[in-house]
Amino acid sequence: MTILQASNVHKTYRLDRVEVPVLRGVDLQVREGEFVAILGASGSGKSTLLHLLGGLDLPDREPAGRVTFQGVDIRARGLDTYRAADVGFVFQFYHLLPELNVLQNVLISAMSMHGVFGYLSNRAAATARAEALLRAVGLSHRLKHRPAELSGGERQRVAIARALVNKPRLILADEPTGNLDRVTGGKILDVLLDLRAKEGQTMVVVTHDEATATKADRVLRLADGRFGAS
Amino acid sequence: MYQVLLTRRYLFSKVMPLLASLGVMLCSAVVLVTWSVMGGFLVMLINTGRTMAGDVVVRWPGTGIPHYEDLIKRLEAEPSVEAAAPVIEAFGMISPPDGSTEGVVIRGVDERFAGVTRYAEIIWWRRPEAPLPKDTERRDPRLGEISGTSWDELYGQGLKLQRRDPRTGDLRPAVVPGIHVMGTSRRTREGFYWPRVTERRGSDGTREEINQFMPRDGSVTITVLPLDSKGQPLEPFSSVLPVANEFQSGVYDYDSRVVLVNLAEAQRMLRMQQAKRLARPGEAGVVEQPSGEGFAGQDSPPALVDDPARVTDVVVKGRGPMATSAEARALAARVEAVYTKFAQDHAGNVPDVMDVSIMTWEDQNRTFISAVKNEISLLLVLFCFISITVVFLVIAIFWSMVREKTMDIGVLRAVGARASGVAGLWLCYGLAIGLVGSSLGLGLAYTIVGNINPIHDWMGERLGIVVWDPAVYYFSKIPNRVDAWHAAIVFAGGVVSCVVGALVPALRAAFMSPVRALRNE
Ligand SMILES: Nc1ncnc2c1ncn2[C@@H]1O[C@H](COP(=O)(O)OP(=O)(O)OP(=O)(O)O)[C@@H](O)[C@H]1O
Ligand SMILES: [Mg+2]
Repeated sequence: MTILQASNVHKTYRLDRVEVPVLRGVDLQVREGEFVAILGASGSGKSTLLHLLGGLDLPDREPAGRVTFQGVDIRARGLDTYRAADVGFVFQFYHLLPELNVLQNVLISAMSMHGVFGYLSNRAAATARAEALLRAVGLSHRLKHRPAELSGGERQRVAIARALVNKPRLILADEPTGNLDRVTGGKILDVLLDLRAKEGQTMVVVTHDEATATKADRVLRLADGRFGAS
Repeated sequence: MYQVLLTRRYLFSKVMPLLASLGVMLCSAVVLVTWSVMGGFLVMLINTGRTMAGDVVVRWPGTGIPHYEDLIKRLEAEPSVEAAAPVIEAFGMISPPDGSTEGVVIRGVDERFAGVTRYAEIIWWRRPEAPLPKDTERRDPRLGEISGTSWDELYGQGLKLQRRDPRTGDLRPAVVPGIHVMGTSRRTREGFYWPRVTERRGSDGTREEINQFMPRDGSVTITVLPLDSKGQPLEPFSSVLPVANEFQSGVYDYDSRVVLVNLAEAQRMLRMQQAKRLARPGEAGVVEQPSGEGFAGQDSPPALVDDPARVTDVVVKGRGPMATSAEARALAARVEAVYTKFAQDHAGNVPDVMDVSIMTWEDQNRTFISAVKNEISLLLVLFCFISITVVFLVIAIFWSMVREKTMDIGVLRAVGARASGVAGLWLCYGLAIGLVGSSLGLGLAYTIVGNINPIHDWMGERLGIVVWDPAVYYFSKIPNRVDAWHAAIVFAGGVVSCVVGALVPALRAAFMSPVRALRNE
């Protein structure tokens, strides 16, 4: 069953009067529980596509394309709600909030999703889940640490916990191991895959790394703004 | 929820918000301190201005109001009037024994004056209830004994404006000058006075110190320029009068220029006492004579008539505090009604109601009250400018913070925060800075204002800076109360300014594209 679908997605950046077409009619179907790896040269538009799939940005209006999640256009679902409840992002550069400690960084997702009063009534459950996830990624002893006190690999583990705390059905990861050495990167990917295996999320990972790609159910290559066959 | 969390974190982990809070703190403290001190001065001015004024005055300067005792009787019959007293005001000169001469305002008053003003409280030479606040060593001479007389006796002299002649034992009409009039009393830093020690140089070159205390043994020469009943000036008139006491009203202008003179003596000197006078035919007052002998005729001979005693002012005290202008004005209206009836009953003999001026204490002090009120409104303009400054301060600081925190904003959007939530974060942050800054500012202002007198003294002693020179401002104490309403307004102003200032950066953050924010490095 298709959970995520992109059809005829175009994205053109406009710099002054110069148009930079990045995506030119991307079609993509991801089945529930599937692990898709997207490969492509640097600058081919992988991050751009991931942002569109995650509802952080919108495709061009002309020619019209759309992204649907569980059969519903994500715009109709509401991009904020979609990002909060259905998607978990993992970024190459971790993107943790430096002022918050590890636990708070994970809980920030729950806070965004529930709003003030919703969060207060879900606080205990959210905290329990965050702590369980941090334990699962091996950071239960560092809950009160600031991101600056963690190594790159540890930071990415926190980011993974943050992506999963709202129990999203879809994980979007943009080069999650790209900033780490090969060994650490491999471990991080294993952590992600383990957690996914337990909860059965769908996962789309952008990567440069062929080793990552080999673990995917399906590999897509982005070239010239489209997916070629692979 | 994350707004509160992040606001708390941002607030304590960055220099910028600290600076912003400090800015807000200083601005609100400056406004509140200035407002409190100036507002305090206004209240003080009004109150001290009232110590000698009474609530309402009926005034006919120059020739004065005849039959004033009747007017006072009528006024005191009014339920809204507590008391009324006669006063003469005229210009004159005072010469202490050392020979100098000063121009002063002569106010002829009798013991009823204390019933309509706070005169009884401002008589200086008497036993104080407690040492002055700054007189920790109890050096005030009034705390000791006085030879030759007693403090109670001096106080009684002051109230009655009379002094007993030590040789004859007679009570003589006396004067009570403001304590700064002749410079015979020296003011100390603690706020009390030493009688000045004068030196007399003998013909053989020896010097003799005279520790002369005016209210016990000093006399002064008072010179006035009397007017006749038509207002024409007569010959200057001088009289040597004993000093009964001195007063200190708290308004330097009064204390250095006003000399209270026993009313009967003032009337005598100014030719306003009851007297027989050679009236010319056809004169108002003559016609009214009940002799029935037809003085009204054009050709009648001049005759001796009774010229009633006159005063220039009748000062009225209303019942109750008369704190508001409306109360005072209502009293003035009553007084006017009484006067109208009085003028009708004495038609032709007393000035018409249209001629006399009937003024409330506010009318009398209008110039300085409006001056200070102008300064208060100036202050409010300043307040607006400072608020605008705070707004821009917060805009500038928040703008750069939003820039610095762009990545955080992108992350928040990526984990599902709404644009409104992100705007809320910055508004919440502005609110927090406003609350913190304004609270600190209020605390600072309360501390400064509450200790403004010690601070001012310290500045005077250590740095030689005397902002409120007693010779100029003549307040023994700078107002040191913060009005709770003023504090609330300044607090709200500070908070609102911060939130308004945060609005623009908040909108910038809200409309920031999440992808742009994330790509920002
Ligand atoms: N805001 C923008 N304005 C203009 N051009 C942009 C913008 N964002 C991305 N691009 C361009 O779009 C193209 C695709 O960028 P994108 O980041 O998606 O590539 P990528 O495949 O993720 O590359 P990498 O593997 O290096 O991360 C690039 O050429 C980039 O310069
Ligand atoms: Mg990329």
